[in-house]
Amino acid sequence: MSEIAAKAPTRPRRRLIVSRLVPYLLLQALIVIATILGLRLLQPSDPEDFALSQFSLREDGVTGAVTLPHFTSSRYSLADPPLYTGAFTFRSADAGAGWSVYLPRFSNAVEVAVNGVVVLDSRRDANANRPDRNTPQIAVIPASLLRDGSNAITVRLFVWGPLKGFLDTVYVGPDAALRPSYETRTLLFVTLQVAFSAWQSILAVILAIMWLMRRREPVYGVLAVAMVLGVIQAFIPPPVPPAAVSRLAAVLLASAPTESALIVAFGVLFFGWRWPRYGMLLFAPGLIVFVVGLIAGPPLPRILFLVLGIPTVGICLFLMACVTATAVVRRQDAASFTIGCAVTIVLTCWVHDMLSVFEIVTNERIFVSRLSYSAMLVAIGAGLTWRFARALNQVDSFAGQLVTRVREAEERLKASFAREEERARAAALANERTRLMRDLHDGLGGQLVSIVALSERGHEGATITDAARAALKDLRLVIDSMDDIGGDLMLALGSWRERATAQLRPHDIALDWRVATPQGLPLHPELRPWHVIQIVRILDEAVTNAVKHAQARNIAVTIETLDGAHGPYGVISVTDDGCGFARAENGEAAGASQTARGLRNMRSRAARCGAILDLGSDASGTRVRLQLPQVFPDSDAAGG
Amino acid sequence: MSEQGETGEAITILLVEDDAPTCWRLQDALVKAGYEVRSAGTLAEARTALTEAPPRVLLTDLRLPDGHGVELIREVRQRFPDTEIMVISALGDEESVISAITVGATGYLLKDAFPTDIATTVRDLVAGHSPISASIARFIVRRTQGAAQSSAGAAPGPTLNTAKLTPREIDILWGIAKGFSYAEIASHLGLSRQTVPGHIKNIYRKLEVHTRSEAVFEAVQQGLIKL
Repeated sequence: MSEIAAKAPTRPRRRLIVSRLVPYLLLQALIVIATILGLRLLQPSDPEDFALSQFSLREDGVTGAVTLPHFTSSRYSLADPPLYTGAFTFRSADAGAGWSVYLPRFSNAVEVAVNGVVVLDSRRDANANRPDRNTPQIAVIPASLLRDGSNAITVRLFVWGPLKGFLDTVYVGPDAALRPSYETRTLLFVTLQVAFSAWQSILAVILAIMWLMRRREPVYGVLAVAMVLGVIQAFIPPPVPPAAVSRLAAVLLASAPTESALIVAFGVLFFGWRWPRYGMLLFAPGLIVFVVGLIAGPPLPRILFLVLGIPTVGICLFLMACVTATAVVRRQDAASFTIGCAVTIVLTCWVHDMLSVFEIVTNERIFVSRLSYSAMLVAIGAGLTWRFARALNQVDSFAGQLVTRVREAEERLKASFAREEERARAAALANERTRLMRDLHDGLGGQLVSIVALSERGHEGATITDAARAALKDLRLVIDSMDDIGGDLMLALGSWRERATAQLRPHDIALDWRVATPQGLPLHPELRPWHVIQIVRILDEAVTNAVKHAQARNIAVTIETLDGAHGPYGVISVTDDGCGFARAENGEAAGASQTARGLRNMRSRAARCGAILDLGSDASGTRVRLQLPQVFPDSDAAGG
Repeated sequence: MSEQGETGEAITILLVEDDAPTCWRLQDALVKAGYEVRSAGTLAEARTALTEAPPRVLLTDLRLPDGHGVELIREVRQRFPDTEIMVISALGDEESVISAITVGATGYLLKDAFPTDIATTVRDLVAGHSPISASIARFIVRRTQGAAQSSAGAAPGPTLNTAKLTPREIDILWGIAKGFSYAEIASHLGLSRQTVPGHIKNIYRKLEVHTRSEAVFEAVQQGLIKL
């Protein structure tokens, strides 16, 4: 059961792998063929008319005839180098310009003499000493040296192992005929190499900066180190054995295995895998070359490089090819395809060089690995920069999207805020309308109804006047309470005093106004219009009772602030010198019920504001004491 | 009994009120008190009346059939600076009273005031005592606070320039708004009782915006308009 379950998904997966890997491998095969063809085409053509290939070689005391190109045995001593002796014919008649001797390829160094005089020593040219570059040499033969007829030419080949010495065909002829070939080779194997290395150094700087700014991505750092090593290897002057050689320079020249291991590390990181711990083993050959070279000195680094380094480079290239192939199967993206093709080219070139080293293929011993590798690194660097730029673009567009999103969210928020505000305003308006309606209903409505009733019954004017006046007074109170008084109840009481005074004047009653504390009443920021209306109506009721039912002559209003346990609170007292409502209750029934209703009203209004109403009444007068709350209630809880 | 000015002539009042019963009621109260009253029901009638002789006192309603009382007040204020002007108001609400004050009215008279109160008010007015009610005083001082607290965002209601008021005048207004009598205010502020009406008259004058160009000048002075 579980087997079936396990197998089921593997089959399509395998099919997928095959369907992706086969075209890729076919493509790589095509690239290999193209590379080989390219290398053949790149092979520079030499001026065969002036070729000089029949030489006699004296090597290790033995003399024999040889045909160039020729390999000599590997050696570590510069003393008694292989000496090639040959002859060429010079006719002064057709020597319009000067003649030159041109050596397209040799390793490691040559000293050329014409008629016993040295005209060329390649050891002085740092570039010419590198076996991994195919540096050509050309030298003009001074006219005075040339004799009509046969001339002798000797070539000493200096070899420093472990590679075998090699001397390609020598060309002697008019300078104009030889130089184009020389220039072509210089361009291909020297100038191009330097250009690639310069480019590589720039990329190294860019990648290093990128890594410094983005430590989270070691892939840039790894590639930067690889490039730095490559640049050092390319630009460091190679030592010529007789000179005092810097050991560091010697080992740095042998940095290729380390560099290739770094490239593998880059590949693994670039395609998003974890760098395995045993992967460090890949750096071992490079380190061994380094350490041994530093301790022992030449020629050991060279030997180790050849024995350990070159195979390591090959292994690394192979690993890299595997890594990219896996990446191609998994990701199918442009980056893996490009790098995979580049690796294939370099690997082909490496195999080509190996074949050349082991003389399996005779191709005039032109090494192309280094050149192709430099080109590959440049391609990788360019690809990375391209990816980085694309990432920047993505960041830009992301930032743009973010800005748009934020703006949208802001708009939405604004809209919802406006809606909310609108709703709150509508709610406040509705509350206010409700309150206003209730207030008008409480006072004005009843009074207008009584005006209508009085006028229908044909009562005399005085009563109607009183009712209408009360209605107007109430309307003013409602309007007055709408004003924002900033929590200062004294401002509302000031207006009330005016109205009460005007009301009492016709009755010849004096209103004694006493503010006991300088400030009057404490401030109540939570004070709302409906609180004010309730308080003013309580005071109105008290004054009306005093005038109508108690026949008072003097009314005193006292305003004071007292200190309670939880802070100050206000007290408003209305006292009169009338006969009191207790006695009035015993009188006529209508008055009693009216007074009782008035008192009930006062109590309920006080309760709605959270105030305490205290009533004291006897024959000498009535005292209404309204103790205000420290904090007015927010909602009209008790209100019906 | 006849109310007379300094010259001994009867004090003339122009009463502009379109509601006939109200007009009769006020006219009765004033005639009984000995004033010489001419009445007008519309703005046009009032203007005609003004061409005859300037009245000592102008009492006008604000909502008139052919225009607004504010126009009449402005005209009278400019043409006859000695005429005392009062607004007749049903409710004494700030909206109408303050707009009248800014064109030159001093105080208001409630339409349902008792006849004795009507006479007393006009007498005080002629004597140079401009009355100011607690609610109007409150409106003004609240506006001075609002101006100090926030320059941006105009407070609701009619525009009012309180920048010229002195701290003392504002203190007096606070006292009136809180229901203190002139005597109480005077003693609190260390003033003479007699100087309080003068201060109130000054307050009225300072709240008045004389012309349109002056209004612009005021606005520039206060930084409300940038030239």
